[in-house]
Amino acid sequence: MIDVKDRELVFPGRILGDGGGRGGDSFIDGGHIVSSVDGMVRVKGNRVDVIPFRGGYAPKESDVVIGIILQVLRGSWLVDINSFSKAYMRGEEATRDALNSDLSRYFRVGDRISAKISEVNELKSSQLIRPWRLEDGIIIEVNPKKIPRVVGKKRSMLNMIREKTGCRIVVGQNGRIWLKGNNLETAIKAIRKIEREAQSRGLTNRVGEFLSNELQSR
Amino acid sequence: MKRDEGMKLLENGKRLDGRALDEIRDVKIEVGILKRAAGSAYLEWGNNKVLAGVYYPREMHPKFMRDPTKAVLRCTYNMAPFSVDDRKRPGPDRRSQEISKILSEALSSAVIIEDYPDAGIDVSVEILQADAGTRCAGLTAASVAIADAGIPMKDLVSSCAAGKIDGEIAVDLMKEEDNYGESDVPLAILPRKKEVVLLQMDGKLSREEFKRAYKLAFDGAMKVYEIQKAALLSSMNSVKGDGE
Repeated sequence: MIDVKDRELVFPGRILGDGGGRGGDSFIDGGHIVSSVDGMVRVKGNRVDVIPFRGGYAPKESDVVIGIILQVLRGSWLVDINSFSKAYMRGEEATRDALNSDLSRYFRVGDRISAKISEVNELKSSQLIRPWRLEDGIIIEVNPKKIPRVVGKKRSMLNMIREKTGCRIVVGQNGRIWLKGNNLETAIKAIRKIEREAQSRGLTNRVGEFLSNELQSR
Repeated sequence: MKRDEGMKLLENGKRLDGRALDEIRDVKIEVGILKRAAGSAYLEWGNNKVLAGVYYPREMHPKFMRDPTKAVLRCTYNMAPFSVDDRKRPGPDRRSQEISKILSEALSSAVIIEDYPDAGIDVSVEILQADAGTRCAGLTAASVAIADAGIPMKDLVSSCAAGKIDGEIAVDLMKEEDNYGESDVPLAILPRKKEVVLLQMDGKLSREEFKRAYKLAFDGAMKVYEIQKAALLSSMNSVKGDGE
């Protein structure tokens, strides 16, 4: 049975129910489902999910992240992905003969890339594949837990911002967002608005109106 | 410390500040008041004023202290020079090192440190004004700050002390009672499962007196738990934003 109402606020140690499905940010203790973070619960039938309000990024397989090259190693790169653990990218992602070629020809220290996490090991250190260089533009950091709202259901929110502003946007699950092109400031304002009002209803419509107003007043 | 002749800590069952023996001081908690820290809390507990801040888990340094099975939680307890009557010499001393250690250990059993192998979690507790019971106040504030940061925890940590004044067992001693009283028992618990994560004793108590002190401190900690919950919920209500 689920003991909480939909959209109820919870805190660490709050018992959510005893039995039923559950998502992340909760654990089972003594037959109870217990929340492990501050957040809001969503209840769907016999399943309870905790949506955290804040928190750092923990690497997850198949996430697309925006990273910064930290170090060029022998045959691989060390990449910062805004997390507590390290990410490596094999030299083979850029060249066939990684050991004998100068990898800084492809990516140097400080270069920004978007890449996919192919593997996370037991020490939470991750392996990146398919790097894509992000040239120029700017990177902003937002709360990683709000990224799902910035993207929206079936990417609805992100596509709307892209369409209305004409801005090129790459969203990393690790809380970094790369933007380049027209109406940069408006796009950033919209993203900050989403971050602030993430847990409210009808957000897509309101952000749509906000973007229209902003762009019209130019 | 010498006590003035004829000074009484108890009069007609009331204490110096008019509290009953089983009454804790007023506790007030504000959540998320520091912008740069991942999570923070400001707590006023009677005349104690405590600020706690926490960072997200990050790479642990020095490297030799890393643990590949879990994160290392380090708590730093520090008293401001102006927090007590006589200026406190700044920097770590034996007392604050001890408190840092016991706070780290108490918090480590609440935070799910297994989620962050090889990482370090830094918590700092700053005592701005001290009036006895600062380790309990610091622990209470730190656990709220960790919850505010969204670092996963099994439960909040709630804490309260009890002690013996003028031969009677009383909860949550204030400065005069602590200085001139006979004993002090700080206690911290994980309220959901009623697990004890910190228990110390200063001075002497008989077995029965200890049981009574433990019970009073436990009930005090449960009261503090309610205040922590209310503070977290109200801070979340404000970030939830409009449209609801």
